[in-house]
Amino acid sequence: MRFVRKTSYDHDIRLFRHQGQMFWFGLLLAAVLALPLAIDGFYLGELSLVFIYGIAGIGLMLLVGYTGLVSLGHAAFLAIGAYTHAWLLGQGVPFLPSMLAATVLSALIGGLVGIPALRMTGIYLAVATLAFAIIVEQILVHWVSVTGGFRGMAVELPSIAGYDLVNAVPFYYLCLAILVICLLLALNLLRSPTGRAMRAIRDSEISAESVGIHLAYTKTLAFAISAGFTGLAGSLLAHRIGYLAPDSFTLITSIQLLIMVVVGGLGSLHGVIFGAIFIGFLPQAIALGRDTLPASIAQIPGLEPGIFGLILVLFLIYEPLGIYGRWVKVRSYFEQFPLYRKATHRRQKSYLRTERMR
Amino acid sequence: MSLLAMDQMSLSFGGVMAVRQVSFEVRAGEVFAIIGPNGAGKTTLFNLVSRLYDADSGSLHFEGEEITRTPAHRIAEIGIARTFQNTELFEHETVLHNLLIGKHVYRRTNLVAEFLFLPSVRRQEIRFRREVEDIIDLLNLQHYRHQVIGNLPYGVRKMVEVARALCIKPKLLLLDEPSSGLNPEETEDLSFWIEDINEALGVTVIMVEHDMNLVQRTAGRVMALADGACLAIGSPGEIQSHPEVLRAYLGD
Repeated sequence: MRFVRKTSYDHDIRLFRHQGQMFWFGLLLAAVLALPLAIDGFYLGELSLVFIYGIAGIGLMLLVGYTGLVSLGHAAFLAIGAYTHAWLLGQGVPFLPSMLAATVLSALIGGLVGIPALRMTGIYLAVATLAFAIIVEQILVHWVSVTGGFRGMAVELPSIAGYDLVNAVPFYYLCLAILVICLLLALNLLRSPTGRAMRAIRDSEISAESVGIHLAYTKTLAFAISAGFTGLAGSLLAHRIGYLAPDSFTLITSIQLLIMVVVGGLGSLHGVIFGAIFIGFLPQAIALGRDTLPASIAQIPGLEPGIFGLILVLFLIYEPLGIYGRWVKVRSYFEQFPLYRKATHRRQKSYLRTERMR
Repeated sequence: MSLLAMDQMSLSFGGVMAVRQVSFEVRAGEVFAIIGPNGAGKTTLFNLVSRLYDADSGSLHFEGEEITRTPAHRIAEIGIARTFQNTELFEHETVLHNLLIGKHVYRRTNLVAEFLFLPSVRRQEIRFRREVEDIIDLLNLQHYRHQVIGNLPYGVRKMVEVARALCIKPKLLLLDEPSSGLNPEETEDLSFWIEDINEALGVTVIMVEHDMNLVQRTAGRVMALADGACLAIGSPGEIQSHPEVLRAYLGD
């Protein structure tokens, strides 16, 4: 077991708790940086997609895992980011400003959606965001002059200051850089007062209010931040798929995003990455499995969403803390090796909570 | 001058009059206890003061300013902190985080600075931490600093809630049944802490309490409530022998 000797309050604020952590994350970063040397373009493309999912997942995690507000409509923000970016590029706006504008617009719309959502929690909020996503989908279909309707719209090739990002390798680095920046931003937010206020709202709205947290403001802000990250991911996704059509951003996409944060592990940014790897590679795994399975099973229509759903249900029942929760258990098993007690991570029933208000 | 003054406040839920025309004043620096049988409206009174409920009529003044319609999230800022009867802590967070959330009203950083974690944010965090550590020392919570609330025993949770309220640096502290669920030793400690909080930190305390021993030991004045109405206000001795109060508790 490792004991960290703390000599100043700064130790509890730092991103890395000890040298070992810094070493392993450094090694991971070096590995992903060196990866293009080892694998070919197809898998780099798939990994870029994982990074993009990761960015969207950070957004959704801040909302679902840290503020406790469920959204079934995040595909809409992905779409808003993607279409805004593609349209602005088409108007001749340079790459980075266009991406920034897509992020800001998504955040603004997210904030607006957040306002009516303030009165709702849980399943009602999920349904309201679902309705919002359907509205956005319809707008994409009918606003032909901007979105191209069902025909869709082509996305200009990405380039920054004349430097082409069309190939898999530079695009991979672009996605990686933005993912790392987003992770740092999210980590910073979570260790400062606003992030704490969000988590306070997740655990108890009533006492959050009585320690002086403005519920409406903080929830709207959480929605806006969440939508901003997701919009940014959308603008990258536009390049990844190359041609935007309304059916790229459907209910299934929203559900996939939600599966990502739940399966990854609610309430942790590690979970986002685990979840992104999971939903990024599961379709590949299913496709590979199809080749080996007998045709009568492999050809069933809707096999993929079925497997997604099944996995979600299994996780909710057997490992509600997600892949990250499992990871923590395995890690503490080895850390405390002969002394590990099974009950360490057992879920405990919480004491009665005040339910007489609202 | 009185710190908190409630004047003729009433609140009903449908046909139930939970609070009827209650008036009382709390002086700066005192410990004021509210007693009464179950359903007397004690917690409702607290929720009125912390503005979680809107009164049907009457007015509420704090330090001479009217707060009858002040939004609930502004209450902490003007100096009123509270605890809840069955504890309302942030379950998935550590004790330290719970207490740091108590510092929320003192934050001076904006969102951009927080996203970038500028030096100003770091300095603010360290200042918060230093102030939180003072409270941890006062209430002897050092052992629990990094523990998640969900794993703590009930008595400790109660004290963490008091600590969180103190982190707001309130002028007025509302304690809703601080001793419920505590064992005799913990209750004993609690009475000393209430004295410390009152005398050393200069915080005015209003508490709802059933344990008359604790009330006798700590409170200067007591208000007895029954069926939402104020029966009597006086010293603990007076209240215990007041005929109306006896009737409310024991029946005719």
